[in-house]
Amino acid sequence: MEVSRRTFIRTTLIGGAGVTVFGFSLAPVYAQTQGLKIARTTETRSTCPYCSVSCGVIIHTLGDKAKNATPQVVHVEGDPDHPINRGTLCPKGASLQQDILNDRRLLKPQVRRPGATDWEDISWDDAINEVARWVKKTRDATFVEKDKNGATVNRCEGIGWTGGCTDTNELNFLAVKAMRSMGVCYFETQARV
Amino acid sequence: MIEWWDKQIQRADHLAPRANGSKELLNFYAQLLRAQKDIYEFLRSRKNWLPSGELECDLSVLLDTLPGFLKVIQSHGPESLAAEAHDLLETDPEVLAERLMSYWHTPSDIQFFEKAFLQPYLRWVAESGARPVGRSVSAGERYCPFCGGSPQVSFLQNKETTAESGNRDLICATCLSSWEFRRVVCANCGEERPAKLGYFHSPEFDHVRIEACDTCKHYIKGVDLTRVGFAAPIVDEINAAPLDLWAREHGYTKIELNLVGV
Repeated sequence: MEVSRRTFIRTTLIGGAGVTVFGFSLAPVYAQTQGLKIARTTETRSTCPYCSVSCGVIIHTLGDKAKNATPQVVHVEGDPDHPINRGTLCPKGASLQQDILNDRRLLKPQVRRPGATDWEDISWDDAINEVARWVKKTRDATFVEKDKNGATVNRCEGIGWTGGCTDTNELNFLAVKAMRSMGVCYFETQARV
Repeated sequence: MIEWWDKQIQRADHLAPRANGSKELLNFYAQLLRAQKDIYEFLRSRKNWLPSGELECDLSVLLDTLPGFLKVIQSHGPESLAAEAHDLLETDPEVLAERLMSYWHTPSDIQFFEKAFLQPYLRWVAESGARPVGRSVSAGERYCPFCGGSPQVSFLQNKETTAESGNRDLICATCLSSWEFRRVVCANCGEERPAKLGYFHSPEFDHVRIEACDTCKHYIKGVDLTRVGFAAPIVDEINAAPLDLWAREHGYTKIELNLVGV
């Protein structure tokens, strides 16, 4: 054969149809190509956030990288190359896509007043002000400057903090700084991955 | 294994009548697979003989099957391949041997006859426990660990009984063996950054996709056996030839052309 691989590819591109390097007509193939609806996805390796087992996952994101298009997670699966889970996921991990897409996720703060049975929506500003007011009041009321032996301890025993499994590193960093600065002792994140 | 060849042939026969743009390619490939199976069976059933892995030594046996193979190509191939098959049938066996040895030392995906003819031989070499000798090919995880060939197609298959996701394997274009390969890695340059790796799907070929790399601008097709378990990757890859044209139109080059030249 005298045709080089590079020449063949160039011919195909310029001619649209043409023939393959071995002489097969590409006209019918090309005709079908024109009707294809092609979507681009990316696969990103990540770690399941739900527990300390730290299973590897692959997140499939739909999007052609166009500036006016928002990438959309379309599938999450276990990473078969990950040494811990080798492609498997527990039921919770297998539902990880729902953590991003489920329409029942809370997207704004809510409050349940003392004695109330239902949660009610609250604005971010009101939520932040109310939390700040209660933190100040509780800390002032329960702050311990010295223990019974007179040693300085500067701790706040009236407030506790628990973090969630999907909290980000950034949120956990800020939580630690905020709680420690107030002397909060009863403090727990779920940052075990 | 003969069953392996039968599976490929059955799949090609199944897909060809249903194919749209790639019908001609599949019809030819089904005949080619039959010819390759005949070579494989001839070698495998030969008494008191096992391949040495050194083509020069094994050629005397292998060349006995060449005329039959060439006649199939002459009968079923496109005009240019049929004409070349006709010429080769009248070529001096020593010249044919030289061509095969040349391919053996430096394989190329545009040498149809050499590649197609040696595939069943190399597959039998692999299965019989010998090692190919005298091939100057690249080494590394992106090349076949048995013969050093480039990958033809990748496929996803469950290997953990409780896993839903598929492990990725590559099929060698030269000896048709497969080897394990990582999922999110370019099979040509080793790129691992997700933003540089694009996976292109089309509903028309739901279980086949283009696995492209924006760093080296190469691609390989992937067949997802977790979606269609009875698919045969090297056959389904040919059936999805329209995806190849789409990829080329968008600036990607295939790592290895298949035996119909796409």
